[in-house]
Amino acid sequence: MPIATPSAVSDPARLAALDAYAILDTPPEAGFDDIVHLACRLCDVPVALVSFVAADRQWFKARAGFPDCETNLGSSVCAHALTHPDRVLVIPDLTADPRTAGNPLVTGEPFIRFYAGAPLVSPEGHVLGSLCVIDHRPRPDGLSETQTEDLVLLARQVMAQLALRRAVLARDFLQMEELRAFTVREALRDTQTALADADGDLDGVLRAVVDGAMRAVPAAEGCVVELIDGDHLEYRAVAGSLEPHRGLRVPLGGSLAGQCATSRTPLRMADAYTDPYVRRDLVKRLGLRSAVVAPILRGDVALGVLKLQSSRVDAFTDSDLVQVGMFASAATTGLGAAGTRRQMRAQDAYWRSLFDRLVEGFVVGEIVRDAGGRAVDWRYVEVNPAWGNLVGIEAAAAVGRTVREVLPGIEEAWITDFAQVVETGEPATFTRPVGVLRRWYDGRAFRLEGDRFGVIFMEATGRVQAEGRRNALLALGDELRDLNSIPHMTRIAAEIVGRALDATRAGFGRIVGDVEHIDIEPDWTAPGTASIAGRHRFEDYGDIRGHLRRGEPLVIDDVATDPRTRDGAAAWEAVGIRSLVNMPVRERGRTVAVFIVHDMHPRVWAPEELVFLRNVADRVEAGVARVRAEENQSVLNRELAHRLKNTLTVVQSIASQTLRGVTERDRVETFERRVLALSRAHDVLLERNWSTARLRAVTENVLAMQADLGRFALEGPDMEVGPQAALSLSLLLHELATNALKYGALSAESGRVRISWRTEDAREPVLILGWVESGGPPVTPPGGRGGFGSRLIRMGLLGTRDARLGFEPEGLRAEFRAPLADVQGQVH
Amino acid sequence: MAQPRPPDPPAVLVVQDEPILMLAMAGYVEEAGCEPVEATTVAEAIRLLETRSDIRTVFTDLDMRGSTAGMNLALAIRDRWPPIELLLLSSQPWKTEELPERGIVLGKPFDPRKIIAAIRKFAP
Repeated sequence: MPIATPSAVSDPARLAALDAYAILDTPPEAGFDDIVHLACRLCDVPVALVSFVAADRQWFKARAGFPDCETNLGSSVCAHALTHPDRVLVIPDLTADPRTAGNPLVTGEPFIRFYAGAPLVSPEGHVLGSLCVIDHRPRPDGLSETQTEDLVLLARQVMAQLALRRAVLARDFLQMEELRAFTVREALRDTQTALADADGDLDGVLRAVVDGAMRAVPAAEGCVVELIDGDHLEYRAVAGSLEPHRGLRVPLGGSLAGQCATSRTPLRMADAYTDPYVRRDLVKRLGLRSAVVAPILRGDVALGVLKLQSSRVDAFTDSDLVQVGMFASAATTGLGAAGTRRQMRAQDAYWRSLFDRLVEGFVVGEIVRDAGGRAVDWRYVEVNPAWGNLVGIEAAAAVGRTVREVLPGIEEAWITDFAQVVETGEPATFTRPVGVLRRWYDGRAFRLEGDRFGVIFMEATGRVQAEGRRNALLALGDELRDLNSIPHMTRIAAEIVGRALDATRAGFGRIVGDVEHIDIEPDWTAPGTASIAGRHRFEDYGDIRGHLRRGEPLVIDDVATDPRTRDGAAAWEAVGIRSLVNMPVRERGRTVAVFIVHDMHPRVWAPEELVFLRNVADRVEAGVARVRAEENQSVLNRELAHRLKNTLTVVQSIASQTLRGVTERDRVETFERRVLALSRAHDVLLERNWSTARLRAVTENVLAMQADLGRFALEGPDMEVGPQAALSLSLLLHELATNALKYGALSAESGRVRISWRTEDAREPVLILGWVESGGPPVTPPGGRGGFGSRLIRMGLLGTRDARLGFEPEGLRAEFRAPLADVQGQVH
Repeated sequence: MAQPRPPDPPAVLVVQDEPILMLAMAGYVEEAGCEPVEATTVAEAIRLLETRSDIRTVFTDLDMRGSTAGMNLALAIRDRWPPIELLLLSSQPWKTEELPERGIVLGKPFDPRKIIAAIRKFAP
């Protein structure tokens, strides 16, 4: 039978006050238990209860002599106590009171009959319940006054206990909150450290986030970062109970995470069984009952979510929702950094691989300055692997050291040039050797930021050396063509070779005997290297005769290790030789000389260097042969000249003997002198092996035979004339001089002759020879046709008949012309 | 030593192994007013010099058989008979240091004017 409950029961303010104590459904506590037992004893009853009246039930915090810990409101007597905040409600016989006669506890077990309850009043005046005493028999007298007072006092004690309890709880809660906040802070800080350590590694970042979130929210059993991939979310990083689900893909629609990501709002799900967003199958599979989830955003775009979950209902608080949001932001930051890093890494890796794969050497250098700011050196900041190959030094060994440390003795230009680039910002292109490496480089240097510069370069040693050898051969060709003495030739060749091969000594040696000795001619040496000119015995230098005998080049890279020379290494080193080439020069199949190249360092002679040396030796051989041939020819020429002159002399003698009886002695003499004039021209020609003669010499030679040269004035550019012209000129001048002596200017003491010549650039260049007499006796033109001499004069130079004779009163003026080509022609 | 017969024409020893040239050379000596004494070999020339003290001038060809014979003779004369004047005939030029002291080289073919002038100068 329903019994009306007092309206005070459902007063929200009262219910709220009761809630605030959080007392319902808490375990028994000694403080309250003591009170009910004291109440039983003071009031002499079997039952006492601390009863709190909730909206739908009454619950007993402490009880004595009563089996149940709660009853429904229909069974509640205490509910009636609520209406009397200021006094003890006493009902002497419950069966007799209309409010309680129908109460199930009265009408049935445990058949209660007496009730007295002191209200439990909160400081704000709300009646939360009562401290009541109950008897199984009616007590018409109720409680004594003392008992009533005691009950009120005890009720007050209950409230005091309650207040104390609440204070302790509040303190504990605060402490716990503080601890939680501390835990969260710690977890967040550790996460941030881990994010920094992850250094942009995506998996490391996400791992750090889930671990941190798990630590920060103890209620969480599992944690996951789900990243959006198309229309799915992928479990990228997992922890705790979700560990087995890494890689799981769930649709964006039909999941709590999807809802969170699409709405970009943090969500708290108290109970998956009632949540509208989640899929039931998923809930089962994941052991998901409650969860907090927050979006991971980049700007306005959701990348995914961070979710914490529990298998318990409503495991998470609002503060947990805040935590998950914080860790989601950390994930955002970490992902951003990871993305940037990844991009940078990708770029970096791209450039790095390019840098590493370059065939060209690449250097980043930094200028080193002295106290005055002057660039004195530079430091290797970075070099690529090609640098190592090109320079021949381990690339790693250079970085951090300066170029003067890495390459001691390096040319100043390697420092000043790059300093200049940094100074002006103007890139510089270079082709330059590193002497200590004996290598050449082509390259370009350019300024980077600050005192740094970049250099990209290639080795040019091969090209530069090849150019050097080519130029050397050209120079050698020129020299050999112009030189006429063999020692001069070999000395020049030695110098050219020594410089082209960057050797320390080069020379030419003549083989003596059967490759027993060598006479080294004055050699070329690099500064600081002594000459070894003079005689040396092959035996003293090891077993090296065989090659030279056979006419093969002797090539030794290192005298100390080569089996042919190592026993005599000391002898070699005494003259500053560690490596050498002896290139034989052969004549008629015999080695007659060697071209010698030495280096004071061990050296691998390149095939192209040997080819070059062979080439040089061949040219020297050819040059020597040419000089020899010329020498031979000149001997032959001299012999021929000698015979020719002897023959002319014999002819002259025969003539003079034959003409012994001729009375006109001057005729005989004229003949003799003509022969002589002819011979003089030969003399001049002989000097040049009958190829050409100098016009002035021919002239002087023939005139000197006739008279003191002081009587002649010669004017004209000296030039070469061919043999035919030389003979013709000699005879012509001889006749002119003879006539001048007999009849013309030279017949008088004061007479002079001016002989002049010039060339004229007509259609066909001509040589014009002038003969002008002066200071002689008055001239009369000769009559008649004249003798041999006159006819010879009229025939002119080379028989051109271009002879103009002017018999002026002051003397003969004659002019002769001949084509220059004929005058200078070798064969006429 | 006093000259026994000063009015006699001076004797000039002509050394030449080529008969035709000998004729010409002897002719020039005569034209110069001297007496040619002929020798066709070096040995003969030496013998004559050893026996004839009146020879004050030797006119020899340097280009005789045995290429160095003429010059060897000239040097020997300069060595053994220092006062004797030497007129040397050659088809090739000689350097001064190769010649005996006071030796004069006359070229070939003959320049009769120079030859006669030289003989006259040495053997007046």
